[in-house]
Amino acid sequence: MIAAHSPIVRLGIRAASPLAILVGVYLLFAGHNQPGGGFAAGLVFGAVAALRTVAGLQRPINTGALVAAGTALVAVVAVAPLLWGDPMLDQQIVSAEIPLLGKVKTGSALPFDIGVTAIVVGLVLAVLDGLGARELAETSVPKPGGAK
Amino acid sequence: MLWTLLAMHVVAVVAIAGSGRWLKIRVLLACAAVAPAATAIWASVQLLQGSGPTIAELTWVEGLDLGLRFSTDALALMMTLLVSGIGALVFVYATGYFSADAPSGARFSASLLGFSASMLGLVWADSVWTLFIFWELTSVTSFLLVGHKNTDEKVQQAARRALMITGAGGLVLLAGLLVLASEAGTTIITDIGQIGGSAGTVAALLVLVGAATKSAQVPFHVWLPGAMAAPTPVSAYLHSATMVKAGVLLLAVTGGAFVDVQAFQTVGMAFGVTSVLWGAIGALRHRDAKLILAWGTVSQLGLLVTLLSIGTGKAVFAAVSVLFAHALFKAALFLVVGEIDIRTGTRDIDELGGLARKMPIAFAVALAAGLSMAGAPPLLGFAAKEAAIEAVVKLSGFEMIAAGIGIIGGSVLTVAYTVRFLVTVFGPGPDTPVGPRRLAMTLPAVLLGAAGLVGFAALGVVNEIVLPAAVELNADAAKYSLLRWPGFTTAFGISAAVLIAGAALGGALSRHAAHAPEPLGADSADRLIDGTMSVARQVTARVQHGSLPVYVTVMASTASLAALPFFADLDTSHLVWADQPMQAVLAVAIVGSAIAGAFVGSRLGAALTLGAVGTGMSGLFILHGAPDLALTQLLVETIVVVGFVVGLGHLARQFPPVTGGWRTVRLTMSILGGVAVAGALAAASANPSGRTPVEQLATESVEEGGGNNIVNVILTDMRALDTLGEVVVLATVAVGILALANLRDPEASA
Repeated sequence: MIAAHSPIVRLGIRAASPLAILVGVYLLFAGHNQPGGGFAAGLVFGAVAALRTVAGLQRPINTGALVAAGTALVAVVAVAPLLWGDPMLDQQIVSAEIPLLGKVKTGSALPFDIGVTAIVVGLVLAVLDGLGARELAETSVPKPGGAK
Repeated sequence: MLWTLLAMHVVAVVAIAGSGRWLKIRVLLACAAVAPAATAIWASVQLLQGSGPTIAELTWVEGLDLGLRFSTDALALMMTLLVSGIGALVFVYATGYFSADAPSGARFSASLLGFSASMLGLVWADSVWTLFIFWELTSVTSFLLVGHKNTDEKVQQAARRALMITGAGGLVLLAGLLVLASEAGTTIITDIGQIGGSAGTVAALLVLVGAATKSAQVPFHVWLPGAMAAPTPVSAYLHSATMVKAGVLLLAVTGGAFVDVQAFQTVGMAFGVTSVLWGAIGALRHRDAKLILAWGTVSQLGLLVTLLSIGTGKAVFAAVSVLFAHALFKAALFLVVGEIDIRTGTRDIDELGGLARKMPIAFAVALAAGLSMAGAPPLLGFAAKEAAIEAVVKLSGFEMIAAGIGIIGGSVLTVAYTVRFLVTVFGPGPDTPVGPRRLAMTLPAVLLGAAGLVGFAALGVVNEIVLPAAVELNADAAKYSLLRWPGFTTAFGISAAVLIAGAALGGALSRHAAHAPEPLGADSADRLIDGTMSVARQVTARVQHGSLPVYVTVMASTASLAALPFFADLDTSHLVWADQPMQAVLAVAIVGSAIAGAFVGSRLGAALTLGAVGTGMSGLFILHGAPDLALTQLLVETIVVVGFVVGLGHLARQFPPVTGGWRTVRLTMSILGGVAVAGALAAASANPSGRTPVEQLATESVEEGGGNNIVNVILTDMRALDTLGEVVVLATVAVGILALANLRDPEASA
């Protein structure tokens, strides 16, 4: 892979990753009031993971666990209101005073969004691995005209 | 309370399924017995107190009456007692049946307990949807249990046959329930009134076929003898005492709706009478003790269906009584046969002999249960059979002849196969070596066998259980009761004649080696299943041949053709070229990139032009004031480009040349797709249906969703169900890709 051989690209991706993750977290939490949300956050995390894969850097590898955790979280948020006799997926809003942050208002949409994020990241990684990204990052020279 | 009991079962199923690595099968089975035992105790207390129905309800979608609804009337309580009481005993029995280190203990115990829970749900169900769900769950758990020895090909075939027949019957039942519910105007079973007309006939026939598949009525009975491939505790529990009664129970609870439907009586009677006779004949011809009992079950179920088809108060009362008695004696007989199988290593009546002396307890149980089955006094089966014959005697005309042939003829044959069973299994014959007794197997069999005797002694108690259940179905049943001594009535005379004739026939037949027929019809059922499978494989090979370009062509052309109808709404007067100059600039860039993408020869170049198109689109979203869409579009483009970079590493740098007819197809497809999408979008935007609900959405979003980003509030709150569906699709795709990737490279699986 070119990326694995270019120190500039490697360093750039390595330096940008924490910032991008910060952006993703911001999008996840800001999503309820400003542009963003679980899907966008998942894509940002996915993009970070994708770039790190291409550059041969470390990234989460347990894709199946991510997807499973996300699905479980989403399912719990969906079904939980039924236990209290509310309709499925009913939104609970909580607001609390937290030091430094002031008044924070959030709801059951947040865990739902986090679940969505996990699933999206899992999907991106699954697609990349399905395309053989990890083997590519390990092989030094891309084979010109492998299959077909 | 119903929720607690069900939850107990479910928790135990999960815990047992997960602890197979640490615990042996006997411990797991003993743990599994707890939930059914508790349920049985609860049901007995309810029955003794005579308290009214317990109702439990969980609404999901109110407008569609979707949800779970349970209600325990007297009939449901009686069935609960049978399902859980026999269930608990069968679990205890199974701890003796399996050797201590038998494999797959967790799967077996969890499936059996799962069946127990499904059966409870089915018995308690008070909504047609609940009924259907648990009906199918019993089919699935039965499949798992029949196929327990999953390495044997014959067992696999038997399990598949059982699943296919009962599963297909379940679909027919679903159709019947849909017609029934829509005609009756309610999905709550207790609220369904009488229905008639052609819709009533259709519903009745569909329900009958569904019931006949589950209750193994001729010609759908072919799965039941095969299901004897299951371990004996399963056969005793599912295929004699409980699951096969589900069809009968269904006919009982829906019978009230079909009182005016002549077809229900006629066809039901045809099913029942045929099954009584054919099942009994099958039982007389088999040499495998377990198969004799299985065919006997077909016959007894036919008797129940016949009685319910008659539908008079007396007949319904007799049906409920026979159902109760049958569950007890047939379970006992199966448990005895299982014990013989384990202790002698065979079930072939030609190889068994002298067991009356070597297995005295088993013989005593078999004698008590067998005589109850034959309808001999002083046993519960006698009182129940008397009621059935009384019901026939009270009929007239053609109905009396048909039911008489079925019930009286069937009774003679029943006595005959009972005598043959007892004589050939326990009577003189080759000297069979017998292994040591296992207490866990003997005890449940003794309890169930004694139940027939005790039930007759305490007939009043049985009557208190059976009568309210029958009254639940037909109010006329209230004036009847089980009699210990009916006096010298016509029915008693018939009973006596039946016993003498049957004993003579059975005695004669047990001396002759009968030819065991191949299970008639089972072959054709298997051929049907195999044929369906091979057609499915051929269709799959044609449709799913693995060529990506063809898949894309099929999907794109289907989508394009589906978009064509929208062209009728196309109104060009609404269309404007651009709202602002910047849009024109972006449009030129997008169109330019798209055209360049079509002509560029290198794969990487094509990927980049696609990226440019997408990025241009996100620019258009920004201009329209949709930052959320733009952000998402931009991120997707980024990831897609990375994906291309990775994927292209496997491929040649340049596209292969495309020529000839394939080129024409691709060109046509591209143009068709482009025109269809553009046209449909133009038609949609030119023809808004009503005012856009932006303001309403905005207020709702802030007030109810608690967020200012309407798009996100829609996604996570107002239309969260859609999002849930979408992320489930994403998760499924991810799992699918992971599975495929691991398939290709088994070493990469983490």
